[in-house]
Amino acid sequence: MSRWSMRIALYWGMSLAGLGVAAPALFAQSGSEAERMAFFERHIRPVLVAECYSCHSAQADEIGGGLTLDTRDGIRQGGDTGPAVVPGSASRSLLVKAIRQTDPNLQMPPDKKLPAEVIANFERWIAQGADDPRDGEAAVARKYEIDIQQGRQYWAFQVPCDTVPPPVRATDWPRSDIDRFVLAAMEAQGAHPVADADPHSLVRRLYLDLIGLPPSPDDVSQFVALHAQDAQAAVAATVDKLLENPGFGERWGRHWLDVVRYAESSGQATNFAFPHAWRYRDWVIESLNADTPYDQFIRQQLAGDLLPAEDERQRAANMVATGFLAIGPKSLSERNRQQFQADVVDEQIDATFQAFQALTVACARCHDHRFDPIPQTDYYALAGIFRSTETCYGTIRVVQSNHPSPLLELPREADATQPYPPLTAARRELIERQIESQQEQMAELTSRDQLIRRIFMASRVTQLRSQLDLYDGDGMPRPLAMGVRESRQAADSPLYIRGEINQPSDRVERGFPQVLTVRQPAIGSRSSGRRELADWIASPDNPLTARVMANRVWLHLIGRGLVATPDNFGASGQPPSHPELLDYLAVRFVQDGWSIKRLIRSIVLSRTYQLSSQFDYENFEKDPENVLVWRMPKRRLEAEALRDSMLLLGGNLNLQPPAGSLVARGGEGNVGFRITGDPAATETNRSVYLPIVRDQLPEMLTVFDFPDPSLIVGERAATTIPAQSLYLMNNPFVQRQADGLASRVMQASEDDVERIKQAWLLGYSRPPTDSEINLALKFLDDYGVQHSVRATWAAFCQAILASAEFAQR
Amino acid sequence: MHRYVMPGVSRREALKCAGAGFGYLAFAGLSTMAAESSNPLAPKPTHFPARAKHVIFLCMEGAPSHVDTFDYKPQLGRDNGRSMPGARTRAARLLGSPWGFQQHGQSGLWISELFPELAACADDLCLLNGMHTDVPAHPQAFLQLHTGVSQFKRPSLGAWTFYGLGTENENLPGFITIGPPQNNGGPANYGSAFLPAICQGTPIRTAFGGFAGGGGGGFGRRGRSNSSGTVSNIRNPRLDRDSQRTQLDFIQSLNQEALRREQHDPAVEGAIESYELAFRMQAEMPQVMDTSDESAETKALYGIGQQASDTFGSQCLLARRFVEAGVRFIELTSRQWDHHTNLREALPNKAASIDKPIAGLLQDLKQRGLLDETLVLWGGEFGRTPYAQGDDGRDHNHRGFTTWMAGGGTKGGFVHGATDDYGYEAVAGKVHIHDWHATILHLLGLDHERLTYRYAGRDMRLTDVKGNVVREILA
Repeated sequence: MSRWSMRIALYWGMSLAGLGVAAPALFAQSGSEAERMAFFERHIRPVLVAECYSCHSAQADEIGGGLTLDTRDGIRQGGDTGPAVVPGSASRSLLVKAIRQTDPNLQMPPDKKLPAEVIANFERWIAQGADDPRDGEAAVARKYEIDIQQGRQYWAFQVPCDTVPPPVRATDWPRSDIDRFVLAAMEAQGAHPVADADPHSLVRRLYLDLIGLPPSPDDVSQFVALHAQDAQAAVAATVDKLLENPGFGERWGRHWLDVVRYAESSGQATNFAFPHAWRYRDWVIESLNADTPYDQFIRQQLAGDLLPAEDERQRAANMVATGFLAIGPKSLSERNRQQFQADVVDEQIDATFQAFQALTVACARCHDHRFDPIPQTDYYALAGIFRSTETCYGTIRVVQSNHPSPLLELPREADATQPYPPLTAARRELIERQIESQQEQMAELTSRDQLIRRIFMASRVTQLRSQLDLYDGDGMPRPLAMGVRESRQAADSPLYIRGEINQPSDRVERGFPQVLTVRQPAIGSRSSGRRELADWIASPDNPLTARVMANRVWLHLIGRGLVATPDNFGASGQPPSHPELLDYLAVRFVQDGWSIKRLIRSIVLSRTYQLSSQFDYENFEKDPENVLVWRMPKRRLEAEALRDSMLLLGGNLNLQPPAGSLVARGGEGNVGFRITGDPAATETNRSVYLPIVRDQLPEMLTVFDFPDPSLIVGERAATTIPAQSLYLMNNPFVQRQADGLASRVMQASEDDVERIKQAWLLGYSRPPTDSEINLALKFLDDYGVQHSVRATWAAFCQAILASAEFAQR
Repeated sequence: MHRYVMPGVSRREALKCAGAGFGYLAFAGLSTMAAESSNPLAPKPTHFPARAKHVIFLCMEGAPSHVDTFDYKPQLGRDNGRSMPGARTRAARLLGSPWGFQQHGQSGLWISELFPELAACADDLCLLNGMHTDVPAHPQAFLQLHTGVSQFKRPSLGAWTFYGLGTENENLPGFITIGPPQNNGGPANYGSAFLPAICQGTPIRTAFGGFAGGGGGGFGRRGRSNSSGTVSNIRNPRLDRDSQRTQLDFIQSLNQEALRREQHDPAVEGAIESYELAFRMQAEMPQVMDTSDESAETKALYGIGQQASDTFGSQCLLARRFVEAGVRFIELTSRQWDHHTNLREALPNKAASIDKPIAGLLQDLKQRGLLDETLVLWGGEFGRTPYAQGDDGRDHNHRGFTTWMAGGGTKGGFVHGATDDYGYEAVAGKVHIHDWHATILHLLGLDHERLTYRYAGRDMRLTDVKGNVVREILA
């Protein structure tokens, strides 16, 4: 939920803050009570009914500003910010202020101004005591009070229980406990699992799910042969092999990078490079390959700088891991320093709690959370922790970039990867000369009209200096990284009323959301509390951590989360479809040492995962969304898996990870102007290594639903849009891969049918059907009439790459 | 071997012809299918009768000066050179407009001599002279102009419009942005954010390359005379149309096989549909963009062929052609209105680059009976100060500025709102960007409070929790 947008209807509050409760003034009453009531009935009530009740009554769909005007209590009690009517004092009555429309922030009715005589009537009515016959209690309770105790009863806020698999009727179907949970739910709904997947579908699914690349024809034939002997042994052996493949980290690391809004630039209105962000990307990939226990993975990202390290290499890794907190989008053009810092902290709270806890805690920046039991004080308890943390993201101070920060420098002994060669003496001299020359020119610009030129030249100097700053005195690249460290001073944060930085209120002691914790941490006066936060999130006692991650893993393998809103386990998210299974997975996950690989392995070895995609009419009628997982429908590949598969088949994929990133080689500065060409077309490394510049993503990625890297996205969209078809039909990159594939297919055999079979194995991991062979031969004949043999096979191979099945697993 | 899908034949018909429609048609009657058959492109009902069916947004990036164009301030001229109380810079001196204003048309709208052609359309214009926005900095204000906010990634006005209304021509994208902005948020200004991806603007690039459009055989890259841009991957660099059709038929036959096997797979069905749309777009998009069939008079009307106005004129003509073809929302960007210095020379040049094109567009839409159903919007992210910056420039001013609307159910020859005597601050008929958005949606038949999309646990709106329809300007 957007914090900003939650500055709802605050006009009722702004003008009243500080006024306090107005003591009823002495007021002059005139006329009899009956006359005054008659006045109300004739001049006041009709206006209230006609102009106000639609938003400010018990009947309103949503009560504006917490204010009801349909009872005497309501109108005198007022809304979020105070009494609308103070009997006897028109000047103190917000209602009068609103209808006079003298304050631009307080104008009612919203779309017009009442006639002057109507306003005068209201003033007179209030001055005479605001007589009001409308008994009854105000419809709106004074304030929405959060009940923490009751909030703890919510399923997601209770620690997962070690659940026992339920009994099932079809006892011969389940292969594992997971299957028993899934089957029991199906049986309860009268659905049944479809047939098991054939070995060709299964091996393709395993490869693409685990490493993001399709199996080679040899892999396929080996698997099929083994599968015929012992199906489960074949699957287990393949899974174990793939989990050890470096491609595992590249695929599953990217899933995590979606969640943590990984990108290499600031985004927002002005877009400045984060040339060192890639280190975090590489760390994520390495951690997944090393199967770093998930609790450790969390601790490193939130407080790596505060963890003990065995050696400098580990120390460096811990520092890089905290990049999680530094890579978020930043409004560098913001002029107000305090506002900027508050926004950075807000972004960190949002990312931390959505990524690890699937909670929208940041909703509580401006007011208590509307759906979850998270009061605004909880938000500022966390804000204190992050405000006591220094975020090191780099950037330079130039036009439109007002908030550069230091970067972390990794220990030399860690021998960190260097993304660019050392600086030559000649190059250094060149840059220094450019700086001098700019400075000389600037010195000549003195008149006021030349101010803008001066500013731009100063920016240029800063930019040039930043190039030199990337190297040490010997010209060796400095091992720089994004991340966080403790601030010089640790302090609690004030609560900011309505989230506005110029409205600080009482300080809130640093701590964690109350609903999730019984005992608040003891945070030392000199430490931020980040270490405690990391330990608390990475604890088996945290009700959300293991569940949230187990759900993410399930989502990527099964195609639908047990909780369908993977980034929101709160009351506005979805309840779990299989709550006991979710708890079972979470508990096992912790018991298995928080091993992500073991969690994946247990799911992949289930019979559920190995179901075919076969359609079933009866099941479909009962459960069209396949919530029960009665089949494993085909799914569209993510942009990266699609591009990598094309490169692989075209014989152009370079499996060697690159050193650094294109963005790193560009250095600091505004990235918007710098980018030329299309790296997705020219680079040949795996797609996880493509430059991820916010709002300047490679076209291929955006066309195929790469998530916006300014947002936390646990589940990607899978759209089917014409831009995808145009890309696959017409983009030269696709045609190049088709050419490469054509060469391989043509080399494989002289015989058309053999070539077709080879193309099918490469493209779809299965042999063609007779009908497909006929379709293919027909195409070769038709197309071959006007085109050369090579061109015909190229067009044929492009058709394979462009077909829907190629883009599915 | 028969063709499974023929050009110009709808998918459903094609499925019937080919007898291959087991997947879709067999279950088309199932109640549970209803939700899945919803097509994001299909025209959708409005909340109430619409006044406008199309929008052309003439976006002036950089913030044009209102006091030199559409907001006549005689007092500013009289007080020229005097210091201005309350100005941001203490030494600021008021700068009377170097250009004269005259009343035009039956309505007597005051318009500066910078726009002689547009002035002839005075009776079609609805000036909003009381505009204001939140931040006097380009990036934030430009994003707010397009998406309502600058702090968060949100869908743009065009994306919301397309999302709300669908499209009338399924051979073309519903939201097209010609010469899209590169800075000030760039693509975020025509993005779909959390809305379905198909709602995002399809960029037609004019010169700048950038990351996207990696040489995908763009249309009209050479020979600019009859076209004004390119669409990514719209042309096959290798295959002629017949060869590509043969290839596509093969692709579609494979897709049909897949669908037959899977029996129910909306993604494959979507791919089949999407390929046909893409193939049709390849034919129709260049046709719409090829303006060689326009008469010399029409081109002259838009100022095409004249150095100053050729580029924007060509784009305006393109916009009219997209409206005729049924595109819902077309945005055009004119850059470099940020006149801190060199106002006296640069502003007339900018004005000349758009004056005839826009006047031509309005006249052309009118004579074709399209202006009634097409809402034309003109404006930048904010206005400029009545006081000078240096002695020949104006600074940013978000407190008061002008945008205008024409056609699409707005009152012609009408002025709503006003700034103070100097043009510094809106004082009457104030219209915030949220109100402007609410009003645009209203003219399109959409209630800005009901046009929502559930995201991050909340029903999101273009106008957030704000926005009032400016009813005074509704015809």
